[in-house]
Amino acid sequence: MSEAKRASVIGGGSWGTALAHLMASSGADVRLWMRNPERVTEINEQHTNSRYLKDLPIDRKVVATGDLQEAVEFAQTIIVAIPAKSFRSIAYEMGSFVKGDQVLLSATKGFEAEHLKRMSQVLREETCARKIGAISGPNLADEIMAGQPTATVVASPYDEAIDAGARLLAGPTLRVYGNHDLVGVEIFGALKNIIAIASGGCTGLGLGANSLSMLLTRGLAEISRFAERHGAQRLTSLGLAGIGDLIATCSSPLSRNNTLGRKLAEGKNLDQALSEMHKVAEGVNTTNAVHLHAGHLGVDMPIAAGVYAVLFEGESVNDVLGSLMSRANRYEHTERPIAEPQPITGSVVETALAVATRRSD
Amino acid sequence: MRNDLRDAALVELRSRIVDACITQASLEDGLPLDVLINDTLYHEKKRLETDRESPVRAQDAAFWDGVKSRLGKANEAELKEILKSIVERFTEEVRGNFSPWVYGMATKVMPKALPLLLNALSPKRLVSRGMPDISETINIHGNVDTLRRMNELGTVILAPTHLSNMDSPVIGWALFAMGLPPFTYGAGLNLFTNPVMSFFMRNLGAYRVDRRKTAPLYKDILKEYATVALEMGQPNLFFPAGTRVRSGKVEDKLKLGLMSCGLRAYVNNLARKKERPNIYVVPATLNYHLVLEAETLIDDHLRIEGKSRYIIDDDESSRPRKILQFTQNLVNLSSRITVNVGDPIDPFGNAVDDEGRSIDSHGRVIDITKYVTDGDGRPTHHPQRDRVYTREAGEAVAESFKKHNVVLSTNLVAFVFFEMLRYRHPELDLYRLLRTGDEGTGVTVSSLTRHVGQVWDVLSKMARDGKITLDDKSVGSGDAQVIVQSALRHFGTYHTRPVLARRGDRVFTEDMNLLLYYSNRLRGYGLERIVRRALTEAS
Repeated sequence: MSEAKRASVIGGGSWGTALAHLMASSGADVRLWMRNPERVTEINEQHTNSRYLKDLPIDRKVVATGDLQEAVEFAQTIIVAIPAKSFRSIAYEMGSFVKGDQVLLSATKGFEAEHLKRMSQVLREETCARKIGAISGPNLADEIMAGQPTATVVASPYDEAIDAGARLLAGPTLRVYGNHDLVGVEIFGALKNIIAIASGGCTGLGLGANSLSMLLTRGLAEISRFAERHGAQRLTSLGLAGIGDLIATCSSPLSRNNTLGRKLAEGKNLDQALSEMHKVAEGVNTTNAVHLHAGHLGVDMPIAAGVYAVLFEGESVNDVLGSLMSRANRYEHTERPIAEPQPITGSVVETALAVATRRSD
Repeated sequence: MRNDLRDAALVELRSRIVDACITQASLEDGLPLDVLINDTLYHEKKRLETDRESPVRAQDAAFWDGVKSRLGKANEAELKEILKSIVERFTEEVRGNFSPWVYGMATKVMPKALPLLLNALSPKRLVSRGMPDISETINIHGNVDTLRRMNELGTVILAPTHLSNMDSPVIGWALFAMGLPPFTYGAGLNLFTNPVMSFFMRNLGAYRVDRRKTAPLYKDILKEYATVALEMGQPNLFFPAGTRVRSGKVEDKLKLGLMSCGLRAYVNNLARKKERPNIYVVPATLNYHLVLEAETLIDDHLRIEGKSRYIIDDDESSRPRKILQFTQNLVNLSSRITVNVGDPIDPFGNAVDDEGRSIDSHGRVIDITKYVTDGDGRPTHHPQRDRVYTREAGEAVAESFKKHNVVLSTNLVAFVFFEMLRYRHPELDLYRLLRTGDEGTGVTVSSLTRHVGQVWDVLSKMARDGKITLDDKSVGSGDAQVIVQSALRHFGTYHTRPVLARRGDRVFTEDMNLLLYYSNRLRGYGLERIVRRALTEAS
């Protein structure tokens, strides 16, 4: 295509702005849509987004607009970075302008609470677009703005969507990896926020590397169980959107969910903690949604249940940690409690011998 | 398909396949012609080793021996000739025949002659036993007007669920009854083994599909044949399950091979700027109180769970007596086969409005040409993209199947009974439970009726929300007693051992496998929870 690189970003929060900046600095013309007219003016005149990104300068090829139609029709590829709560209503509005050949990539990590819909599902339901995907990975907005090197995953069942995302995003400070496992990438992106809250709690209690490592590993195990139950591929948990994102979110003080966890460990309740942060912590909604659905599905998610208890049932981080530590010891991968006898399997003779032994015990 | 159209289709098909083979062979990572031919030869030789029943086995063997001996010293031009002869052989075998005379006759006598159609039963014997007329028993529901309309606005692919070998004649008759032309469809060779059935199949436009032939080239030919037929505006009938569903469930794993033909034909139509390029997929469900081959199917399912590769040549549908008994039952019980026609979708899985335009979930019209055109507006084939489109369209078909699945009394009562037994033995896995059964104690009529009523309440709400369909006649009343009676009446007949039978104030099962089979039709709706909860509360 002879046309210069173009992209649209829907949503002018920190991540949306950072993505717009990133693409502009690698040569694309970018339209950045946001509702607030004052911030549109600020970006177009001062080239900053002070509410979300302090005084970090934004590339001049980013042009902000309050006109959704203009933003949607500007480019072939659209990145959507809207908080999960208002994602559907904006996707619906976009649906009036989106055409079937456009690529839509969700950059939002979260679920729609009620039916546990992933953001790509919402895009699919609200627009006629098919080439839908998601962007996820260890991508803290502030570090990206500061030009630090990292990598991201563009996931979609469509090669064309991955290709379009890679062309726009890849640059000297960002490597792009493709993945066809959209379900897995989105689920890990959302669920890691629960573990991030827990890890903030750990840090807040003054715990060290051993504890944090246990939390991350077992956290990954339980969110993998949940993800696989929804059709995700196991290997995705070992990739950038799985363990990669988890390490970044849980080890950075910049992460909102992590910050929230720390405040909770200091003894603040959810409302107090949130009122001290002006950014959305997606992990709160995700915990609520996932806790409910994990119960329905019969997926064992003890850490998520613990975070839920702290967030919504007023339990202290310390008590929850205590009850998590006192759970039965288990086999690492099968989750079978060590103390329970192994189910009898094997040849007829082995079975008979095992039964006899068990009787005589 | 009319014979002149068919001949044109065959010419087009051959040149497309041969061209495609030659083009891909010229690519750097393409399959060279000699390798392609060798591969086909290998598959066919292997088939011939085991396929001893094929009536043309000797001719086939001679043909492939010829290919083998020519292949050794063939130059490029000779290779192309060999390829052509292979393609010709395969296509010749696929071709169907359409005889308007046979069609006219078949539609007139079919309702009465279904047993005859399905089998080589002598007409004399049939008459002496009384000829069941099933035209009364095929019930057509759902979006019939839209189906007719789509057939005018574009080319239709009818995609029904597949439970029984009766499906093809039933659908064939239903199409006629709806005032639609005969549809082209691929029928397994095993349906051609019986001479009467074969006569009708061959003369009603069915093309032959030999599932024993595994050569990739052969499969390409089948797919391309359907594509060409669609492009010529010939409506097609595909069973997206690919084969009869062994478990009795509403199919959710669909074979997408033929579904992809719709998309390919659509793109080709766009490229040729055809006046009515649109292809519409219309899912439909076929619903039987009792299924002719249920016993064989569920046995097969349990034996080879999930791997439905098996082809059963000898099942109930090839036993004359069984068929006659089955159809007589249909009439005696005044039970009906319900054909429920779903809403049309486009080859991408979008809904379609009355004007044949694709619409999104809010009814906004979609320009679907955008899905398949490049930056300059040229229609393109893009295999990776098209596979995903087709998969998504398949998901839409599966969803439609679930919505249009018709709940019959046999399914509902079998489901509740089975779940009551499962609740009684939480410690048993499925296979143990099947062996244990109801331990000769059964359940009381009153508790069965009560739980049927509870599940019905949930089902009727789901039906109002459009998530499933209720059969007016056998379950529509909502009177659980009537529903249980209807199920018992059906289950008491036809099958070798009664699936459910009442003795005194209790109901017993004598065939757990069949009970599972009939209950499976209601899996995937989360109804198990309802029964479990009700039982927990009751205890």
